[in-house]
Amino acid sequence: MKQKIIERAKALLSSGEIGGFLALKQEGVHIAPHLFTDPAELDMLSLGDGQGLGDARYPLVKLLYTLAERFPQEKFGVMVRGCDERALNQLLKEDRACPMTAGRVIPVGFSCPEELAKACECAKPWPDAMVAGEKMEGFPPPESDMADLMAELQQWFGEADRCLKCLGCKNSCPVCVCHECTLEEEAMLPQRQLPPTPNFLFTRAVHMVDRCVYCGLCEAACPAGIPLKKLYRLVAQLVGQGIPLVGAAPRPQPQPAAQL
Amino acid sequence: MDYKSTLSVCPYCGCGCSFYLETIDGKLVGTKPSATSPVNNGKLCVKGWKVHEFVQSPRRLTNPLLRKNGELVEVSWDEALDYVADKLKKIKAEHGPDSIAFLASAKITNEDNYVLQKFARAGVGTNNVDHCARL
Amino acid sequence: MAGLAAAFGSGAMTNSIEELAGADTIFVIGSNTTAAHPLVADRLYRAKKNGATIIVADPRKIQLALTADLYVSQALGSDAALINGIAHIIIKEGWQNQQFIDDNTEGYEDFKALVEGYTPERTTELTGVSKQDLYFIAEKYAKAPAGSIVYCMGITQHTSGVDNVKSLANLAMLTGQIGRESTGVNPLRGQNNVQGACDMGGLPDVYPGYQKVDVPDNQAKFAKAWNAELSPKAGLKIPDMLTGLNDGSVKVLFVVGENPMMSDPDQHHVELALKKAELLVVQDIFDHQTAQLAHVVLPGASYAEKDGTFSNTERRVQRLHKAVEPVGDSKADWEITQEISNRFGYPMNYASPAEIMDEIAQVTPQYGGINYERLEGEGLLWPCPNQDHPGTKFLHAGGKFARGKGLFHAIEWRAPAEVVDEEYPLWLTTGRAHVHYHTGTMTRNSPSLHALMPEGFAEINPVEADRLGVSEGEMLQLTTRRGTIQAKAMITERVRPGMVFVPFHFMEACANVLTNPALDPVCKIPEFKVCAVKLDKAA
Repeated sequence: MKQKIIERAKALLSSGEIGGFLALKQEGVHIAPHLFTDPAELDMLSLGDGQGLGDARYPLVKLLYTLAERFPQEKFGVMVRGCDERALNQLLKEDRACPMTAGRVIPVGFSCPEELAKACECAKPWPDAMVAGEKMEGFPPPESDMADLMAELQQWFGEADRCLKCLGCKNSCPVCVCHECTLEEEAMLPQRQLPPTPNFLFTRAVHMVDRCVYCGLCEAACPAGIPLKKLYRLVAQLVGQGIPLVGAAPRPQPQPAAQL
Repeated sequence: MDYKSTLSVCPYCGCGCSFYLETIDGKLVGTKPSATSPVNNGKLCVKGWKVHEFVQSPRRLTNPLLRKNGELVEVSWDEALDYVADKLKKIKAEHGPDSIAFLASAKITNEDNYVLQKFARAGVGTNNVDHCARL
Repeated sequence: MAGLAAAFGSGAMTNSIEELAGADTIFVIGSNTTAAHPLVADRLYRAKKNGATIIVADPRKIQLALTADLYVSQALGSDAALINGIAHIIIKEGWQNQQFIDDNTEGYEDFKALVEGYTPERTTELTGVSKQDLYFIAEKYAKAPAGSIVYCMGITQHTSGVDNVKSLANLAMLTGQIGRESTGVNPLRGQNNVQGACDMGGLPDVYPGYQKVDVPDNQAKFAKAWNAELSPKAGLKIPDMLTGLNDGSVKVLFVVGENPMMSDPDQHHVELALKKAELLVVQDIFDHQTAQLAHVVLPGASYAEKDGTFSNTERRVQRLHKAVEPVGDSKADWEITQEISNRFGYPMNYASPAEIMDEIAQVTPQYGGINYERLEGEGLLWPCPNQDHPGTKFLHAGGKFARGKGLFHAIEWRAPAEVVDEEYPLWLTTGRAHVHYHTGTMTRNSPSLHALMPEGFAEINPVEADRLGVSEGEMLQLTTRRGTIQAKAMITERVRPGMVFVPFHFMEACANVLTNPALDPVCKIPEFKVCAVKLDKAA
């Protein structure tokens, strides 16, 4: 699997088609985001499996956004899983200023192993731009009926008690690229309070409706162990948008959000 | 096009979280919690996520300063270091080594602390070394 | 530090951070963990998820209280009474681990006799904690397969700080909750390298590795290693340095990476002392109040601009790598010291921090097996005495204490140095806010953190707000016997009626203008956590 990614990246770099390949690099026990510019270095590439499957992932697409903005003349390759590719597509779809235009970015993808896809409840654990791995059925969680959703929502009001307001959910989110953020506005949410009110979590959840790519990086970054992906699915269902299979899914008709 | 991520350790609380400092062309641009750290496993607090911000602040001290006629003015390293060393020698000669005291720090590295206390003890000849551990 | 060292022979956190997630009962006292040590809070949350019982004792209803199975609000400064009261119940009910006590400790009989006097009735009277709650804590902690104690500055920053720590050590020995996985007495270090600064001999009475300066063998060892004559006399602690400046016996204060003008109690007193110095050198990364008084200011390099190591609260020595060049003409602190030393006449020629670590390993038994190559992984937890040693996850394994036998201390509760009266009728306590750190030199120079919390505040209960006719965000005036500050009111149930909380990060509303410089007699820690204050609506 890894070898195929390395080969493709080497080909892209050696041919001069791209100036840099953004992926992960393994040094000893550590795995870090890295911009490969020298093909020889690619043998240190990591897929992001540390002690467990997919437990050393980073928001590469978000980082690529910064790099593409900073170096407007460059072309990049980027290593993607299914969720990374969804994030890329989502940003291209919604952000007219997105610097990661199709001509400038070449995704090099691989599929996630079934075990990880199941644990992530991933609807599409493979990217379209796949050079390694195989297509498989996804494992999206079943949709709940409205009564269950409302009951679940009630439980969520207690979850904010644990929130440390680290903003890791926002910082690790591949599609959160706003320069100004509601979560950090005193006028919108009181900043001195710890814990925050439930609004802090719900505000972000509402912002994620129809945008979340369910990569789970927010949960991985949460020191309070809050199951954020679950919250975003819940709120997405409550406001009637459904769970988009992929970022580029057709936009459903808007429905009233009366229940929330 | 120079992007680097460098493994570092947080200068704030005692948890000792580690993270990658991200630089583009020598400028710090971001912080990513190390997913392979046994301490923080890919997580950070609000301070940690922004820990790169103060490093290249325009308010950093960038030059040695020496008080002349009541004012702190910029001087060369040579002038500042000579001044300190001469003054230490003179005061040690007049008042003995125990008239000199050092505050080490809970914010500098082990190596920085080691060298400082070694200078106090072996150079100056005093055990007057403490730090804000209890503060 | 001094308290744990006296009881166990080592002042460090006994167990590692990750072990907390596996504990069955965790007793958190005097630690606002979610704000001050978020990644330890992460383990407490995980322990709770795994079914652990979390008990929180804090005068303020801190965030962790919301997750706790039991939260008790003990009176400010009543910690030793609370802990003795818990020990009383444990002994009375026969829940102590007699085998552990007999095999591994000494001083038990005196301790037992003393806590006899801390009946639930008396303890409740002193602490305000109910008998039922005392029993709950005693039973859950004593009977847990693995019980752990977590504490922080809420325990130590008192005139009885050392006693408080010794009391917690008593509790762990009484129940045998030490020397095993997920147990122990775990002080959370407030600053990132407090542990390292202590390990490296940044203390007046010990060389690196806690080797006493007044032991001739140690002196001989270091005199040889350092090729110098060494003073046999223990040096001055910070408060004594300030006193020395005042009385003229100390002429020079060389301050590296600290801002005593703001971090020490009773700021006015500190300022007077510093102004008397014949030479005040400040070496730091930002200008601050102490630097403004200095004769010489030397620009140091920050953590991101140098190689080196920090030792975290769990004794893990970790590598930091240079990410960027130092700003301007600033230099790493060790380089500056080396240059001064060379000019002073004591030659040093380290080429790199790695070389310094090699010397540290030679003279510091706990660091004997540590070098930069080995640190490239996940770091090493000391003691790590030799190259083949994997490091030490928890101390005092099997009840084999560093000092030999664990020592019980019979500790009477003592009232805080200053208590409320008619003139100063409210209790004042200080601490951290989640966005900021220490004196704010770093966090307040981080634009996004500054934006999140640009100014200080004072937490008061709605009862006090009503009494004063103050609403949220209005200015309060706080006055103690030391001084006066103004801060915006934050009205919250987190503090009880009769109590005020002020975070200590804000120079313009500086908590340490107010705090009491009364010191613990042993370790000279000031009583930051409690004093008497008068509250008015600002004119």
